[in-house]
Amino acid sequence: MSCRELERLFVAGSADSEQLAHRNTCAECSRLGADLDRGASLAAQLQPPAWSPQLRQALLRVPSMTVSCEAAEMLLASALEGEIAKADASRLQGHLSRCGGCAQAAGALYAMRDLAAPEPPAWLATRLVAAKPQKKKSFWRSAFSGKMVLAYAYSAAVLVMLLGLNPTAVVRKAGFASLGESTRNAVTVAESSVGDRLGAFQEKAARTLAVWRGHVGGYSRAAVSNAIAIVWKPETKKAPSRPRLGKEGGAAANSGDFQVAGRPIREPLPPRFRV
Amino acid sequence: MSTTDEKDLVARCREGNDDAWRELVDRFGQKVYAIAYHFTLKREDAEELSQEIFLKLFENLHRYDGGFPLVAWILSVSRNLCIDRYRRRKREKSFRFVSDDAVTALLKSDDDPASMALKKERTQMLFSALAEVPEDLAEILILRDLNGLAYDEIGKALELPEGTVKSRLFRARAEVARKIRERHESKGAPGALASLAIAAAGLV
Repeated sequence: MSCRELERLFVAGSADSEQLAHRNTCAECSRLGADLDRGASLAAQLQPPAWSPQLRQALLRVPSMTVSCEAAEMLLASALEGEIAKADASRLQGHLSRCGGCAQAAGALYAMRDLAAPEPPAWLATRLVAAKPQKKKSFWRSAFSGKMVLAYAYSAAVLVMLLGLNPTAVVRKAGFASLGESTRNAVTVAESSVGDRLGAFQEKAARTLAVWRGHVGGYSRAAVSNAIAIVWKPETKKAPSRPRLGKEGGAAANSGDFQVAGRPIREPLPPRFRV
Repeated sequence: MSTTDEKDLVARCREGNDDAWRELVDRFGQKVYAIAYHFTLKREDAEELSQEIFLKLFENLHRYDGGFPLVAWILSVSRNLCIDRYRRRKREKSFRFVSDDAVTALLKSDDDPASMALKKERTQMLFSALAEVPEDLAEILILRDLNGLAYDEIGKALELPEGTVKSRLFRARAEVARKIRERHESKGAPGALASLAIAAAGLV
C-alpha cells in the first residue's frame, strides 16, 4: 500500500463522500476500502456481552472488600494499635493483598515490633556524657546570675540612698550574708560605692544644715525670747496699767518708751528664761 | 451526564454513599464488562477482570478530578489490567482460536441456524485477525469499534493525541481487514453458494 490518501482523509475527518470519491479514482484505495467495509460490517453485527446479576452484586460489594491507599494508612495505624474493627480489618487485608506498596509498608511496620534492642558499645556512654548538651538556664537561674544580682544591688543601694537609710544597717538586716559569694561581692561593691556617695551627701547636708542652723538659730533665739517675754509676767510687782491714749492723758505714749505689759523692753529677763 | 455530575458522583462514592456506588456500578458496570470481555474473550476472566477494575477504581477514586469523562478515567485506571490480561491471553497457545461460546455471547440470537453459524465463523475470523495485530493497534480497535468509545475518550484514556488515535485506528482496521481477506482467500474463492449465504446474512 503506497497511497496514503485514504488514511489522510480519514485522520483529517473528511466526509464519507470525499473518501468514496477518492476510492473511485484510486484502485489501491478502492481495494483497501473494500477490506475496511468488510471488517466494519463484521464489527457492526456484534453486540456487547450481557453482564450477569452475580457480577453486579459482586461489584456492589467492592467497597466492603478494599480501601484506598490513604485509608489503608489510617487503618494500618489502627491495626498496629489493635484498635481496628473486624470489617475494617477485612478491607485492609483485601487492600494489602492487592497493593504491593501498602503491603510492604505494613510488613515493615509489623517487623519493627520484632526487632531486638542492639547492645551499645562500651565507649558510647562516655561519649554521650561528653556530648551532653548544655541545658538551657531556667528563669530563676538566669534571674540570679552575677550580672543581675549586681544590678539588683545597685538598684537597692540607690533606693536606700533615696530613702535616707543607713546602707550598712540595711544590708545587715536583710541578711545578705546568707547569699552566695557572688551576691556578697556585689553587695560589698555596691555598699562601698553607696557609702562613698552617701558620705559625700551627708557631708554636704551637714554643711547646709549648719548654715541653716546658723540663720535659724539667731532668729529663733530672738523669737523665743520675745515670746517668753510676752507670755511671762512677774507676779511680784504689779505694773501700772498702760494709760489709754487720749483719755487718761498721753503722758506714757508721748514718753517715747515702748513698754510690754508695763515693763520696758530693755529691762533684762530673769536668768532662767534666757535662751 | 456532565463531568461535574460525575465528579459529584465520585465524591459521594468516596464518602461511602452506597447509593452513589450503586449508581456508578449500574452506569459503568456493563461497559466495563464489555471491554473486559473483548480483551479476554472468556466470561469468567471478564468477570474477574471487571471486579479487579472496580476494586482498583474504588481504591483510586480520590485521583479523579473531573478533568475528563469518567469512562475515560475508568479506562485509564484499568488499562494496564486489560493489557496485562490481553498479553496473558496472547501467550496462550489457543490465543488465535476463538471458541464458539466466546462469540455466541457477542451475537444477537438468530432464528436461522445457518445464518447464525456463518456469523459465528466470521466473528471468529475477526477476532483471530485481531489477535495478530500489534497490541497498540488492537486495543484502539477494541475500544472504538467494539465498545463505541469516542476518539477523545480513547485519547485521554491512552494519553494519545486524537490524530494519533485516528491514525492508529485506521491502520488497525486496515491490518485486520487485510488479514481477514487473506484468510478468506487462502481458503479458496468463495463459491456461489457461500457468496449467496453471505449476502443473505447481510454481512457484506
